[in-house]
Amino acid sequence: MADVMTRLEPNSRAAARGLSDLSIRNLFIIPTITFLIVFNVFPLIYSLYTGFTDYRASTTAPANWVGLANFRELLSDPFIWRNFTITAKYVVISVTGQVIVGFGLAMLLNRPMALKGLITTLLMLPMMLSPAVVGLFWKLLYDPSFGIINYFLGLGKFEWLADPQMALWAVAMVDIWMWSPFVMLLSLAGLSAVPKHLYEAAEIDRAGPFYTFFRITLPLVAPILMIAIIFRTMEAFKTFDHAYILSSQPTTELIAIRLYKMAFLEWQTGLSSAFAYIVLIVVVAITNIYVKYLNKAKAR
Amino acid sequence: MHRQVCRLMAGAAVIALSAPAAYSQELTIFWAEWDPANYLQELVNEYEAETGVTVTVETTPWQDFQTKAFTEFNARGSAYDMIVGDSQWLGAASEGGHYVDLTEFFQKHNLGEVMAPATVKYYAEYPGNSGKYWAIPAEGDAVGWAYRKDWFEDPAEMEAFKAKYGYDLAPPTTWAQLLDIAEFFHRPDQNRYGVAIYTDNSYDGLVMGVENALFSYGAELGDPSTYQVDGILNSDKAVAALDAYRKLYGFTPPGWSKTFFVENNQAITENLAAMSMNYFAFFPALVNPATNPNAANTGFFANPAGPDGDQFAALGGQGISIVSYSENQEEAFKFLEWFIRDDVQKRWAELGGYTAHAKTLESEEFRKATPYNEAFFQTMFKVKDFWAVPEYAELLTAANQRIYPFVVGGEGTAKEVLDALANDWTETFKKYGRIK
Amino acid sequence: MAEIKTKGEMLFNRGAILAVVVALIIMLTPIYWIAATSFKARNLATTIPPTVVFEPTLAPFAKLFTKRSQLREPVAPEVYEAAPWWEKLIYDGGEQVVRNKKTNEPTSSGFGNRYMNSLIVSIISTFLAVSMGTLTAYGFSRFRVPGEQDWLFFILSTRMLPPVVVAIPMFLMYRAVGLHDTHIGLIILYTAFNLSFAVWIMKGFIDEIPREYEEAALVDGYTRMEAFFKIVLPEALTGIAATAVFCFITAWNEYAFALMMTSKNAQTAPPYIPSQVGSGLSDWTVIASGAFLFLVPVAIFTFLLRNHLLRGMSFGAIRK
Repeated sequence: MADVMTRLEPNSRAAARGLSDLSIRNLFIIPTITFLIVFNVFPLIYSLYTGFTDYRASTTAPANWVGLANFRELLSDPFIWRNFTITAKYVVISVTGQVIVGFGLAMLLNRPMALKGLITTLLMLPMMLSPAVVGLFWKLLYDPSFGIINYFLGLGKFEWLADPQMALWAVAMVDIWMWSPFVMLLSLAGLSAVPKHLYEAAEIDRAGPFYTFFRITLPLVAPILMIAIIFRTMEAFKTFDHAYILSSQPTTELIAIRLYKMAFLEWQTGLSSAFAYIVLIVVVAITNIYVKYLNKAKAR
Repeated sequence: MHRQVCRLMAGAAVIALSAPAAYSQELTIFWAEWDPANYLQELVNEYEAETGVTVTVETTPWQDFQTKAFTEFNARGSAYDMIVGDSQWLGAASEGGHYVDLTEFFQKHNLGEVMAPATVKYYAEYPGNSGKYWAIPAEGDAVGWAYRKDWFEDPAEMEAFKAKYGYDLAPPTTWAQLLDIAEFFHRPDQNRYGVAIYTDNSYDGLVMGVENALFSYGAELGDPSTYQVDGILNSDKAVAALDAYRKLYGFTPPGWSKTFFVENNQAITENLAAMSMNYFAFFPALVNPATNPNAANTGFFANPAGPDGDQFAALGGQGISIVSYSENQEEAFKFLEWFIRDDVQKRWAELGGYTAHAKTLESEEFRKATPYNEAFFQTMFKVKDFWAVPEYAELLTAANQRIYPFVVGGEGTAKEVLDALANDWTETFKKYGRIK
Repeated sequence: MAEIKTKGEMLFNRGAILAVVVALIIMLTPIYWIAATSFKARNLATTIPPTVVFEPTLAPFAKLFTKRSQLREPVAPEVYEAAPWWEKLIYDGGEQVVRNKKTNEPTSSGFGNRYMNSLIVSIISTFLAVSMGTLTAYGFSRFRVPGEQDWLFFILSTRMLPPVVVAIPMFLMYRAVGLHDTHIGLIILYTAFNLSFAVWIMKGFIDEIPREYEEAALVDGYTRMEAFFKIVLPEALTGIAATAVFCFITAWNEYAFALMMTSKNAQTAPPYIPSQVGSGLSDWTVIASGAFLFLVPVAIFTFLLRNHLLRGMSFGAIRK
């Protein structure tokens, strides 16, 4: 029994009553893991296999093994490399934006305030909309002829989406608008966990606001903020709906958009599976780095 | 004895249970979600009244129509008996074994002449000139133009136009005139712009638009029998056509970078542009005063001719095919026999469907029925289409990647773009063994 | 911190409130615009200057729930007069309701059914994901699990594969086992999507709950199960509420799989809302009314949970 229990007194009387800790652990964990394995294993193996074939899901023709040809074709296609660069830029812009806005809002809201519950709920509205609807409406809002953004900001006929350089920022801005509340809510939960006496102690020590923020607030919120960043990064890599609807500029062709075209318009199932595996490897690598930081943040 | 009675009764029960199913036949047609699908449902209700066979038109949003159809094919699903599919699907669907061969049916009913010949070629036949048919032209469609009659007929404008260009302001009959008129009406300071064209490159919008210029300038995408592209796609005519399209882009409203049929109709309803290209299927919304405040002042014309008098338009629309995995193929054939009847095609047109039936199209009654029918009639005899090979979408992607930065971003020259595209397409055809 | 209020602090507080107000305006203007558009007449949706004051109409909602087609000739006055109010609104918009030829019943757009399906699928899958996620998170947080980090990373990784690639094998798998176009199929799918998220977030929260509390309970004669349900769960409510809100939102708005995995019976609402382009002109008011109606349940759900969301982790103080 002792090897199951890590953080509890090994000789506590708990083990004697009810279910043993070992069976509770298994009962709690095994169903989830089994479910996820069963559910994911077929799609994963299937796409790994098709990644080495010339399979097209639009026909009934059998798949032919082509070895590494798909990977070679992808890695030598300059358009694909551009997709990766664009996506990297997009992920950095939108996740950074979300952390700044979301964490900033959480800092502002982390005080006694009238109508706090209502305000928080209202601030969370953007992420409750369906991404496709968000895309459609922002296209309308950005429209130089009858959009309200240019009208209220007095920008005249400013072309948000028609300008190849601006378009990616405009798409990222929508993502920031939509998902900052996610970061905000998680940060808020983290911030409220920072014990008040630490602030009081800092005040007695006449610590400046910067010192308090970087030495007390940030380290304590870091783990939960890190989880928020991990999920937003993973999701940003997969961004499709609103980006696809907003712009068809070559400068905004994110990986997910190219992947969608390859898989469902061109029906290059084999090639797109190979592409997806390359993306998967990249995302796994990035997430791994994040998780290392997360564990370090927790250890502090 | 007793056992036999039991068996008999069991047999009777089975027959009794299966009987209704055998007599109340049901057919399902799959199409995209838009008005013509409603008209088709109305039409097939009449088939039900006549024969007792229930026909349901099932729909899915446009943006997912293609994906949904092919995933269903891939799973060999029998959910749909017939499908009203895009012309470009012919290659993939026939080579993939998803469509039933209709060649015999076609010959028996002489459909090559019953339907407008150009539509048969693109909606039904694959590979080109093979004499094999996979669909029956159902919803004919092509790109035409809408224009603002009130702007064109304003005496002051007419005078100014004549003074500037030396001929009368009227709906253009050539691409040169189209360019002049677009330039003439392009007045950003008055929030009025020359023209609305397709620029969306997420699927086939942009390429459809460019094709209108290309075909009328007398250029071709390539040779459909040999898959030779170099020297055809990048011919001088094609270069001139692409330059013309790029020039037109200069006269579009601001932010015109991802536009397709919705935006182009909006350009007319919102007083943005003097002329707007669009599929005929979307013109009914422009003559309806409730959806278009300028309905009374909206006129229509067919895609103009190029410098050498060639006049063609890019094809839209769909043919109806029988799905190979359907369990009701016999009934489906019976339905198609009914669908191609002269009176049914006439009724189809009355209900709002765009028939490709030659006799109906030519009738005085049809041509007068709406302000755009005359232009539609003219167009349906001179349509051309994109490649229909199974890898058409790869060709489309390459075209989008090359053409878009030139048309919208002004990068490179038309010649460079088409040379590069001809190279891409040749590579793709090589990849699929169509050329050595 | 409670009573002591220096001048600077008050100024800072005022600034914070001002910033919150500005943020509210920025975040809510697009939402307000959608809500307002859903009550506008069609021609007011795209005016410049923007129409801010207008007479609200229910026409967009009447359109949202019915199947319509273009009126090709004006409707006869006696037909118009005999029509119910919502049908008049549709006639006013230049459209007619598609009616069943035999029964003359108006045809529904299916939005109502889709909406119900969305509710069923989202509520059940959220419940499943949150409960399984909480248990698993507790298991990982409190017990020694061989290869803990690897298992956690595996759970996380189930969300990394781009969905377009999983779509085809998933579709085939669902066809093969008969889950295609069923509510259960979608529920399982969304539970799987949300599970990795639920485990990770809940682990983050449960890690913050000090073990001393359970230990004390165990010493007091609670069983491990009782300690979990009576001590840990109440403490984890903030996390559970936040996780539930996020899972519900994900399931509620999922688009791509909902489209591919359903055809008749289990269709959900998100793919329907943006597809109002049947006649080649998007009717912004109908899209807005669909989006607005679709926003309401999530907003209510979130509002009801607001106190849990904001309560924070009260025991964090004892952290080491």
